[in-house]
Amino acid sequence: MAYKLIGKDFTPQDVRPKVTGAGKYTEDFKVDGMVYMKMLLCPMPSANVTSFDATDALDMPGVFGVLTADEVPQVEEPGFPMLTNKPRQLGMPIAAIAAETESIAAEALEKIKVTFDPQPFVLDPLESLYPGGTNALDGGNVTGGNIQGKEGVGGNKIHDFKWTARDFAIAGDEKMPMGEAPVEWAVGDVEAAFAEAALIIDEPFVTASSSHAALEPRSVLSYWENGKCFIHGSSQSQSWMMPGLARMMNISLEDIVYVAEYCGGGFGSKASPYPVQGMTAYMSKKIGRPVMLRVTRAEEYHFGGQRPGFQGQVKMGFDKQGKMTACDLYIVQSGGPNRGSGDYSSAAGAVALVYTPTNMRFRGAAVVTNKPWHVSQRGPGQNQIACVIEPLLDKAAKELGIDRIAIRNLNAPEADVKFTNRNSTVTSMFLKDAFSLGADLFKWEEKKKMSGQRNGSKVIGVGVGTAYHSAGSNGFDGLLSIRPDGKLYVHSGVGNLGTYSYAGTSRAAAEVLQCSWDNTVVLRGDSRQGLPWTLAQFGSNSSYTNTRTNFVAATKMKKMLQRLAAQELGDAPEDYDVANESVFHTSDETKIMTFAEAASKAIELGGEWDGHEYPDDLNDVTKSAMKKVVGAGLVSAAKDKIPKEGSVPGMATGYCMIELDTETGKFEILEYHSVADCGTVLHPKGLEQQLRGGAVMGIGEAVLDRVIYDPQNGLCATVGLDQTKPPSILDVPSNMEMSAVDKPDLSNPLGVKGIGEPAMGCAAAALLCAISDATGIYFNRTPVDPDMIINALSGRPQSFKPLQVNT
Amino acid sequence: MQKKFNSDRYDPLSTERDSLSRRHFIKGVIAAGTVAGAAGLMTGCSDNSNNSASSASVERLVTINVNGRSRPVDVMPNETLAHTLRNKLSLTGTKIGCDRGACGACTVMIDGVTQNSCSILTHTVRKGNVVTVEGVGGVNGQLHPVQTAMIEELAPQCGFCTPGQVVSGVALLQRNPNPTREEVRQALAGNLCRCGAYNNYINAIVNAAGSA
Amino acid sequence: MKDMMPSFNLVQPIDVKSAINLLTEAGAGGWAIAGGQDSFDWFKDRIKRPHTVVDLSGIDSIKGIRETDDGGIEIGALTTLTDVEQNPIIKEKYGLLSTASGRVASPQIRNKGTLGGNVSQDARCWYYRSGLDCYRAGGNTCYADTPEGMNREHCLFGASRCVAVTPSDTAVALTTLEANMVIVGPNGERIVPASEYFIGPAIDIERMTVLEPGDVLIAIRIPAKWSGAKFYFEKVADRATWDFPLVNIASAMKVSEGIIEDISITCGAVECVPKRLTVVQDIVRGSAANEETASLAAGAASRGASALNYNHFKIPLMENLVKRAIRG
Repeated sequence: MAYKLIGKDFTPQDVRPKVTGAGKYTEDFKVDGMVYMKMLLCPMPSANVTSFDATDALDMPGVFGVLTADEVPQVEEPGFPMLTNKPRQLGMPIAAIAAETESIAAEALEKIKVTFDPQPFVLDPLESLYPGGTNALDGGNVTGGNIQGKEGVGGNKIHDFKWTARDFAIAGDEKMPMGEAPVEWAVGDVEAAFAEAALIIDEPFVTASSSHAALEPRSVLSYWENGKCFIHGSSQSQSWMMPGLARMMNISLEDIVYVAEYCGGGFGSKASPYPVQGMTAYMSKKIGRPVMLRVTRAEEYHFGGQRPGFQGQVKMGFDKQGKMTACDLYIVQSGGPNRGSGDYSSAAGAVALVYTPTNMRFRGAAVVTNKPWHVSQRGPGQNQIACVIEPLLDKAAKELGIDRIAIRNLNAPEADVKFTNRNSTVTSMFLKDAFSLGADLFKWEEKKKMSGQRNGSKVIGVGVGTAYHSAGSNGFDGLLSIRPDGKLYVHSGVGNLGTYSYAGTSRAAAEVLQCSWDNTVVLRGDSRQGLPWTLAQFGSNSSYTNTRTNFVAATKMKKMLQRLAAQELGDAPEDYDVANESVFHTSDETKIMTFAEAASKAIELGGEWDGHEYPDDLNDVTKSAMKKVVGAGLVSAAKDKIPKEGSVPGMATGYCMIELDTETGKFEILEYHSVADCGTVLHPKGLEQQLRGGAVMGIGEAVLDRVIYDPQNGLCATVGLDQTKPPSILDVPSNMEMSAVDKPDLSNPLGVKGIGEPAMGCAAAALLCAISDATGIYFNRTPVDPDMIINALSGRPQSFKPLQVNT
Repeated sequence: MQKKFNSDRYDPLSTERDSLSRRHFIKGVIAAGTVAGAAGLMTGCSDNSNNSASSASVERLVTINVNGRSRPVDVMPNETLAHTLRNKLSLTGTKIGCDRGACGACTVMIDGVTQNSCSILTHTVRKGNVVTVEGVGGVNGQLHPVQTAMIEELAPQCGFCTPGQVVSGVALLQRNPNPTREEVRQALAGNLCRCGAYNNYINAIVNAAGSA
Repeated sequence: MKDMMPSFNLVQPIDVKSAINLLTEAGAGGWAIAGGQDSFDWFKDRIKRPHTVVDLSGIDSIKGIRETDDGGIEIGALTTLTDVEQNPIIKEKYGLLSTASGRVASPQIRNKGTLGGNVSQDARCWYYRSGLDCYRAGGNTCYADTPEGMNREHCLFGASRCVAVTPSDTAVALTTLEANMVIVGPNGERIVPASEYFIGPAIDIERMTVLEPGDVLIAIRIPAKWSGAKFYFEKVADRATWDFPLVNIASAMKVSEGIIEDISITCGAVECVPKRLTVVQDIVRGSAANEETASLAAGAASRGASALNYNHFKIPLMENLVKRAIRG
């Protein structure tokens, strides 16, 4: 279909303020009477606070108050507390202090007399699963699964769960113990399939935890005015934050004002309301002043979230042609002292879809530890497992004498795929097209011949990688208004993560109404604008989810315009069409209403026209937004009820060539190309950004990003950006090529799917495969550090055991 | 397999180990020194009554030249330039991503040279000309070609590192009007971008080079 | 856990003499800063809390680069790393130092950080920097040298209660170039060879250099000896910018008709001080600059290395870097 806006580049309204420095992030606000808050953090991995005395701190001039755990709502294990007297991780907030300046607050903190009773702690999930092993939380060590109760993955309960000493003894140090699994499902009969397999690969693996490390720490500004609680937050999401914040503050939705016009990155760590937002608002309420919490980099590492690491074992059987006939996957997922995320389960789903094993068994356990809050990070589960499976797929291809893209193609799903024990389906699938396009653009056959070529100490490695994410959702609300200024206002509740999808998806409404982009205004970033309910900006969902909501609201708006014109100018609604900011009679050019006229008319008529009446199936957040929009013009609000069956698969493939120096373990990425199956391309430059940015973060996941904890005392070695080592500009190629299959997903009215997350996983996998190609070594561990490469190439053992964490 | 935090060996909240008794000399004098007792230190240290040094500390009321204007400002002896710019002069385009010189979000030019403003004491730049992201464009609000090119290239993602990237790019073009891609890459090496928009920033600065 | 610069007095002398007087006066509560790129970390962590900070950056006499009468050069200690990197004389005659300076941290840090500061920075052991009461911090334990210590970055040689390494890129270059460090203190000026400027834990566990109370490093003099030699510098680090070396190497060779007539070679991040590889020098002097000589030297370079749990990769890495330096 020929679109006017979809698939075209444009300049989103927030780009200019970003390059001039005028864009206001939370820390950039200053309000009258504002004071600063700093937190007292737990200095050890697990403790009980036995005494607390802030008298001396409160006596200091310039100190306005102390907030303690007793003054804020408490959560049950394994929730993440706002403030607590039973901190179960290093850096968990115990109390907060507000003062005239941050310097005074910092000095006041040192005057608080607090004593801790240190508690046993655990960092390694396997250690916690050993009989008698430490539980990170009082109530146990495993979340989710079918233990005792009957709840599923990501459940809210905590259980005391151990394997047997015999499980560990059988496994030894080289393999994963195969104890009872809290979560388990199977399709077919893996054991029978292994018995018939031509090749079996059976390997333990470890993927490291890593911090999201968004460049903006999660600062918060909060104040109360006329009974309303204002929160300026750094968040990926806008409307999604509202109900949670209202619950956190125990006030009604109507009394929350949430401002988040700019957010300095999140990657999953700022998707939903987080405790320091509540803490700041409670402090503001207590002392009756606006409070600014400027979170520091080290603090962000302590409570800004981490991707769960995996320890596991994967056994795969292949037939002679390279078809994966069986996959037996066991994942132990590390968590912080919180509920954690469903990474391990998503990882299993990704294996089932991307490689379509004929028989599959998944077993998993989510173990809590006394490490930071663990939360979804870009490609949660799918990207870790891509790092594990993809190099091993290469190993299988090598042993079977098959081309590495061919083995991926052979195992790739078709659109009618059914995967996992739930027989899940997909809304579209063009992975094979992506491989075919990628092989052409990257010149795979040519590059493959260069693999292993040596130049002195340097050797060429080539790799291909694949990743998937379920990239779209449905059932949310769209809200539009046409105002007397003649412009179309798209009310966006999406949030501003920096993907520009708030803008790209708003163009869906303009497209339907044939409205020029210059006359389209996107309202966003402040709940006072009247912003509808939609999903958080996570899970690569925004492009799909919000083209749908804007499509339904715009379709309804078009009908309203036609009805209004018919009512005012005569003839039937079908006789009218909408374009050029007007509704016009298709065969009588005298019958025309501009958007401005329609808006004024709507205000005059009221009722269903100007937002006084609206559908009852709208979410409460949207209903609350309607109160701010009512009377503004012609208003259309609608819930997305377009049918959708199955997962919306965002698929990405990456192709990579490196030159690795066998003497230093260092390498240069000579070339990187990524090809995506993301449906119809919504915003070409936005897509390029996601594929490139994802590749950079993927390089980090594969070889750089790390967190390190000391097993002796639970302290953290990585509290600075120079220590966690996110990729710098010199660690990535200066030019990366991007392309897309550009075939529509028919479950979306505009054909669009998301892509942000697999963009990262495919790059991580491609790089790891290229390293294995260059060295002939399959590390089964991320990140692959120079020391691992040097050890392997010089014939030395690695410094750690195969399942050891914290390295 | 139980582990207990060894509180005998390490009490993180104790300030006792800062006591002077263990310290008899000034360690590595350049960029190093010795600790002092923590007790008694207060803010507003220029009138610190227990100051052991007889020499007076710097005058707090100073004038610094920022974006071509002389700005009188009250600066604490321990105040970083980033703090002065953001909190005293309302120039919030300069971002603080780490406060440790590890990310470059706070990059400003001092006499044309890029520096991390989080890791400079304001009192050490009294004689310098400071240019922040707010000052790289024309006096009437025109954008610098680097900024224009970044908009065209859709270079920023979350935008938090962008002011630093802009300043590093402008500083490069001032000393090298026609840089190669590799020279741009090296010039931006101190500016982290977690969104990974590096390619786009390089493209933009190379594109701007012709018109700068 | 702490992340806010504490209060201090700031004094800004304009000559060396007053700087030394101010430091002497301040006694144990004094602290000198050059570029401040190491100091501010200590302050913001509130681990080091001086009463009086003496800012040396206003002393013009200890900035700049000039040629000396003996054909060498003198670099003021307060000269920035960028100025050292880009100086035409250094580039032409002592390219080793130029390259090493250019590999320090990031452009912004090199624009502020000084050569004197870079060679005088404190140990980067993360336990020490966490504020733990380790030996180096005046306590009586080492957290890194234990069965479970996270010590990938720590030393292979010269452990003596402490296993921290020298983190400096320029220190190895200056040691190789046989630089002399000019120090002025309350008792006047003294000149210390680079090879003696850096000290290990066996000599003094609480400092990395010979600087004593009230001392200021004012200049670094490089003799003409290695001017125009064949240089090799390489730093292997996790990241290509803003990172400390896992191992670095700096060598200067005089090669005539393929024969190594003389050599000076130093390895960093394997010991608390830049490790002069005198054994390697003895082995290769008079031999052909080729793969065979390089391999012979590489094996000898790591002799006596004592690896910790996570750092034995530094043995082959160090050997490989020696090999690369010698085969050219």
